[in-house]
Amino acid sequence: MEKKLSSVAKTFTPSPIQELSHFAQRCNAINLAEGFPDFPAPIHLKIAAVSAINSDFNQYRHVQGICEHLARTTKEMHGFDVDPQTDIAICCGQTEAFAAAVFAVIDPGDEVVLFDPSYETYEGCIRMAGGIPVYVGLEPPYWSLDSDKFMGSFTRRTKAVILNSPQNPTGKVFTKDELEIIAGACCRRDCLAITDEVYEHLTYENIKHKSLASLPGMQERTIITSSLSKTFSVTGWRIGWAIAPAFFASAIRNIHVKLTDSAPAPFQEAALTALRSPPDYYESLRRGYESKRDYLVELLAKIGFQIQLKPQGSFFLFAELPKNSSLSDVEYVKELIEQAGVVAVPGCGFFHTNLSSEKPSQVSCNYQKRYIRFAFCKSDATLAAAAQKLGEL
Amino acid sequence: MQSQCTWTQPRMPTPLCFKSSTLLTFSISKHLHTKSFDSLASRKGISYYPFLMATLSTPSTTEKDAVSFQSESTQKTQQPLQVAKRLERFKTTIFTQMSSLAIKHGAINLGQGFPNFDGPEFVKEAAIQAIRDGKNQYARGYGVPEFNSAIAGRFKKDTGLVVDPEKEVTVTSGCTEAIAATMLGLINPGDEVILFAPFYDSYEATLSMAGAKIKCITLRPPDFAVPINELTSAISKNTRAILINTPHNPTGKMFTRDELNTIASLCIENDVLVFTDEVYDKLAFEMDHISMASLPGMYERTVTMNSLGKTFSLTGWKIGWAIAPPHLTWGVRQAHAFLTFATSTPMQWAASVALRAPDSYYVELKRDYMAKKAILVEGLKAVGFKVFPSSGTYFVVVDHTPFGLENDIAFCEYLIKEVGVVAIPTSVFYLNPEDGKNLVRFTFCKDEETLRTAVERMKEKLKRN
Repeated sequence: MEKKLSSVAKTFTPSPIQELSHFAQRCNAINLAEGFPDFPAPIHLKIAAVSAINSDFNQYRHVQGICEHLARTTKEMHGFDVDPQTDIAICCGQTEAFAAAVFAVIDPGDEVVLFDPSYETYEGCIRMAGGIPVYVGLEPPYWSLDSDKFMGSFTRRTKAVILNSPQNPTGKVFTKDELEIIAGACCRRDCLAITDEVYEHLTYENIKHKSLASLPGMQERTIITSSLSKTFSVTGWRIGWAIAPAFFASAIRNIHVKLTDSAPAPFQEAALTALRSPPDYYESLRRGYESKRDYLVELLAKIGFQIQLKPQGSFFLFAELPKNSSLSDVEYVKELIEQAGVVAVPGCGFFHTNLSSEKPSQVSCNYQKRYIRFAFCKSDATLAAAAQKLGEL
Repeated sequence: MQSQCTWTQPRMPTPLCFKSSTLLTFSISKHLHTKSFDSLASRKGISYYPFLMATLSTPSTTEKDAVSFQSESTQKTQQPLQVAKRLERFKTTIFTQMSSLAIKHGAINLGQGFPNFDGPEFVKEAAIQAIRDGKNQYARGYGVPEFNSAIAGRFKKDTGLVVDPEKEVTVTSGCTEAIAATMLGLINPGDEVILFAPFYDSYEATLSMAGAKIKCITLRPPDFAVPINELTSAISKNTRAILINTPHNPTGKMFTRDELNTIASLCIENDVLVFTDEVYDKLAFEMDHISMASLPGMYERTVTMNSLGKTFSLTGWKIGWAIAPPHLTWGVRQAHAFLTFATSTPMQWAASVALRAPDSYYVELKRDYMAKKAILVEGLKAVGFKVFPSSGTYFVVVDHTPFGLENDIAFCEYLIKEVGVVAIPTSVFYLNPEDGKNLVRFTFCKDEETLRTAVERMKEKLKRN
C-alpha cells in the first residue's frame, strides 16, 4: 500500500521543528523552539471574536472590510495603491495564501529562487506545484546577499523569487540595496516575486520594513502574503491574505476557494478589530519584542554565544554555536534539552545542500550545522526561567 | 423573510454600481458555453464575492474584458496575464451574477447551501470559552489531541471501526481542505481517478491541480442509481482512486449497500483507493448512511472525510477531518502541512465538545430537517416541478422543464427576476453541462418561514407552460 503515496508525498519528511516540540513537551522543557507566543492574545481581539460568535457570524463568509483595511494600511506603510475590491484574497493564514499563490503561478518545471537558510514550508509548496526550488545561499554571519551569486541563479526557466523579510530563521531584514538587487533582477528577467511578510510589524532599532512590492516596477509582478498571526499573537486563528494585481489575486482567490472555501468566519470579523488597532498598539508590540530580544541576547552571551547578528526583525534569533563547542547543532540542542531543559531548533532544518553556487566545498558549508534558532515570542516569565536554567549550566 | 445577504457588510456596504452593465449579459452567455465551476455553487449555491470582483476574475477566456476593466494601476502596465495552466479552466462564474441579481430583486435564497439559522449554543459557548482560556495559538498540525480523539470516538459509534486518533485522523480546514490534501497527497500526475457526476466542484479543481486524468460516470434521474455496467468498464488496474460523495450533493442520493458492495469488490480486485466525502452523513433521512470504510477489506484503502459545518450549522468555522489508515494518512498530512499548516485552534476545542453531543441532538436535527424538507418538497410538487426523491443532505433536485425555459440557467434567472426565489442550475456540477440542463437544485437548510414564503411565491408566480 505504501506505493499508493504520491511521488511528491514520498519526498517529504516530518517537520523537525514539530518533532522537537513533541520531545520537549515530553521532557517538560522550556520551549524556545516553536514560533508562537505563550502569552495571551490581545483582549480587544478576543472580545471581538467572542462577539462575532454570539452575533451568529458563523456561516461561510467573506468579510470585505478586511480588504478595505489592508488597502489602507498598505498605502500607509508602503505608499502604493491597491484596490480592495480586486487585489486582495483572504485565506486560512499566510500558509494558505502562499500555497494558493504558488499554485496560481507555478507550472511543473518552473524554477523558483529562494534564499538559504529559509523556512521549510516554501519548498514544500513549490514542489507540490511541480516547481523546482533553486537556493541562493546568504553569506554568514550577516546573511548578506551576494549579487553575483543571486544573478547567477537565474535561468530561462526561472518564474519567481521568494522573499521572506523580516526573515525566519535569521531575523535579518533585507536592506534597501539588497531589495534593489532583487527588484532589478525580477524586472530585467520578467520574473514574479512572492513575499512572506508575516513579521512586517516586528522590526527593531528604528528599522522599517519595506515591502519589495513598493520598489519601482515591482507592484505589477509581486504577490504579498501576510497574516494576523504574528502581529496579533493569534497564530491559531488562521487569518491571512494575499495582495497582488487583480488577475493574480483573482486566481489566488479561486484556488483558495477550492482548497478551503473560506477562512474561519468569526475570526474574519475579529480581524476588522485587529486591523483597526491604533499606532500605539504596534509601537508597544515592537518595544515589547525588542526588550525580549535584548534579554535573550544577553542570556545567550552569558553562556558563551557570540551573537553576530542581533535580530533586526521577526522574533527569532539565529545563533552560531559557541566557538569552544565541537558539537553539531542537533547534538547541542539535545544537550540543551537534557542538561538545561530548554529547547531550540537546530539550524540544519533551514539550510539546503543543493545551493546554486559553484562547487560548494565541504568547509564552506560547515556553517550549516553550527546554528540554532531561538524564539523570543515568550512571556517574560518563560524567558526568565530559561535564563535561570541556562545559568545553571 | 428575506434571506441574509452575506456578501454585503452592514458596516461597509459594497457598491452595487458596476462599471458596466453589459458585463452582466456578456458573462452569462459566455458561461453557457464554457465549463464553469464555482465551488461556492455546490455547498453554498451563490458566491458572496461582490459582483465586480467576479467579473474581473476570469483571466483566461475573458482576458480582454478583464484587462479593460482593471484598475488604473494595472492598466498602465498592460502585462500579459500570467496564471498557471492548471487553472485556465476554472473561473468564478455565473453564480456571482445570480447573487447580485438576487439582491437586486429581493429574492429568497434557496440556492446557497448553508443555513440561515445558527449553530447550537453549547458549541458556540465552547468556542468562546476556548478563546477566553487562551487557546489561540497554533494547534498541532494534524489536530488538537482531544479533538482527534473525539473524531475517533464518533467514528466508532457511527461505523464500529476503531481507529488510532494519533495515526489515522487528520484535522483540516473544512472537508474542502481534506479533499484538497487527499488529492494532492495521494494522486500523481497522470493517475486515473473516477468521479460521479454531478459532483461538488472542488473535486475536479483539486484533481486537476494534482494532474489527474478524470473519468466521469454520470448519475441520472430519477433515482441517480450507479450505472454498474459503466462503472465496471471504467474501472481497471490503471485506476488509482474513485471518489464517492454520500449522501450526495446535489441530488440527495445515498449510495446503497448493494452499490457500495459492488464498488468495493471492483476496488479490491483492481487495487483502487476510495475517497469518500460524507459531510451530510447525519442528514440521512430515507435510509441509513453507510461508510465505505466499514465494508470488509475496505478500511485499508479508504480515506473517509467529514466536517463539522453541516451537522452543527457552523459552516464558517472550517473544521473538517480525514480518517485513513496510517500509510494513506501520511500523504494527506504532508499535503495538509503545506496547504494550511494547522487548523483553527479554538474551533477544534469547540468541535470536540460538539462531537460528544448526545444522540438526542442528532435525533432532533433530523426531525427538524425532515419537517423543512416536507414543506419544500410538497410545495415544489404543488407548484408543478417534477421532484426527484432525495434520501439525504439538505438538497433536492427537480426537473424545471414543465415551465418552458430553455435550460437550467435561463430557468434560474427567470426564477429570480419573475418569482423572487433563487435555485442553483445544476449544469455546473457536470463535466458536460448539457447533462444538467433540465435540473435545478433547491436547498431546505432555511427556517420554516423562509421556506413557506418561497413556496408561496412560486405557487403564485410560476406558471406551467
